[in-house]
Amino acid sequence: MKENVFIIHRSEIIRKGLSLILQDYFKMEITQLNSTKDLNSFTGITNSSIILILEAQTEVNSKAVDLLKKNNDVYLVGFYNDDQVLEQNDSVDYQLNQFSSSMQIQKLIQIIRQAGAKKKNGNSDNGELTVREKEVIRLIAVGLANKEIAEKLFISIHTVISHRKNITEKLGIKSISGLTVYAIMNNLLDIQDINPEELI
Amino acid sequence: MELFRKEDKMSSLIGANYNLLPVINRFGIRLGFKEKSIDEVCTENKIHTDFFLAIVNTYTDEGYFPEAELLSFSPLLIIEYLKNTHRYYIEYVLPKIERLLNKVIESCTEDCSSLKMINSFYQKYKAELLIHLNLEDEKVFPYIINLYKEKTLNSDGSSIEVLENEHTNVEVKLSDLKNLIIRHLSPNYEDNTMNEFLTALFQFENDLNDHARIEDHILIVQVMEFEKELGK
Repeated sequence: MKENVFIIHRSEIIRKGLSLILQDYFKMEITQLNSTKDLNSFTGITNSSIILILEAQTEVNSKAVDLLKKNNDVYLVGFYNDDQVLEQNDSVDYQLNQFSSSMQIQKLIQIIRQAGAKKKNGNSDNGELTVREKEVIRLIAVGLANKEIAEKLFISIHTVISHRKNITEKLGIKSISGLTVYAIMNNLLDIQDINPEELI
Repeated sequence: MELFRKEDKMSSLIGANYNLLPVINRFGIRLGFKEKSIDEVCTENKIHTDFFLAIVNTYTDEGYFPEAELLSFSPLLIIEYLKNTHRYYIEYVLPKIERLLNKVIESCTEDCSSLKMINSFYQKYKAELLIHLNLEDEKVFPYIINLYKEKTLNSDGSSIEVLENEHTNVEVKLSDLKNLIIRHLSPNYEDNTMNEFLTALFQFENDLNDHARIEDHILIVQVMEFEKELGK
């Protein structure tokens, strides 16, 4: 899942400083906003895990946050200027203050990441194609549709579709003509077997 | 990344993101800004500043999606801009990519059949991309221009949603092309030449993605709103 990190704070010193520190941990660009109002321009994001670090005790812009929550996992982190405010605060999920040590910051990021990772389940094979998958590629390349491939291999259409999904994940190739090129490059198929005009 | 604002210096914009160089050129802005702000340069070049900012911010931050109040400018401005972009792709980027690919092929000394396959795949990709760009230039944009001129919906029921088919097909092929080379092609070519070609592909992919976001996030949104108003 993609990650988007926002820092929303009125102070430029804090915005820039914090994102400099966090960039080391997140290894990505961090969007810095002056006010929660600017968040309205980012509500089009989907399928991401979004970490919002907000200046504490300011208006949260719940309209934009609610829109973001519809299509994303959103984590709110309150940023405090001092360490005395640690009473239970329902409006944010996590707390950070300007005196947090690097250990505390790291820990916070870990917790957020783990929360996001629960939903993923890793695909753990070595990326080699199985014999069956190679057969499927060959049939795709000669121009057969899912239904025809299913009939030819005596498997269900559902199985064909799942083979195709795995092939695409392993090879990073999705289009039919891309798979055809792959098949020829790897001698799964002879160039004579296809009509180069049509498929390539 | 901070959002650009009109009081920022124009030169800082390029410093922050050099991919914006061809973007500002498309607005007719050229280098040599001195200390001028974005607003000043736009005014000098008779460019709508909010429009300019919406475009450069969309280019700079993937998640950015300008709000309705920032979309007060005419869609005709966007169309003009998008057409310029298409011209830039057709007249400059595609020929450049092709030149680099030919250099890669020339650098191959033995067993070049796979590279030839890559070349045919690229040709197929290019043909599809050109069809897509053409469709926009000849069908989609004229539809929008006419819609705003006549201020009535087409009686045949066509709408922007129907006309603007998705960009995904061409996007998939470009990503396939990169993966075929990076992951599956045996390296029978000169490395620096191939790196140049791949770099050009990556850049083009970025530019195309941003271009598609401008169409989907700004232009299409505006036109759909307008169609809704006219339908009332």
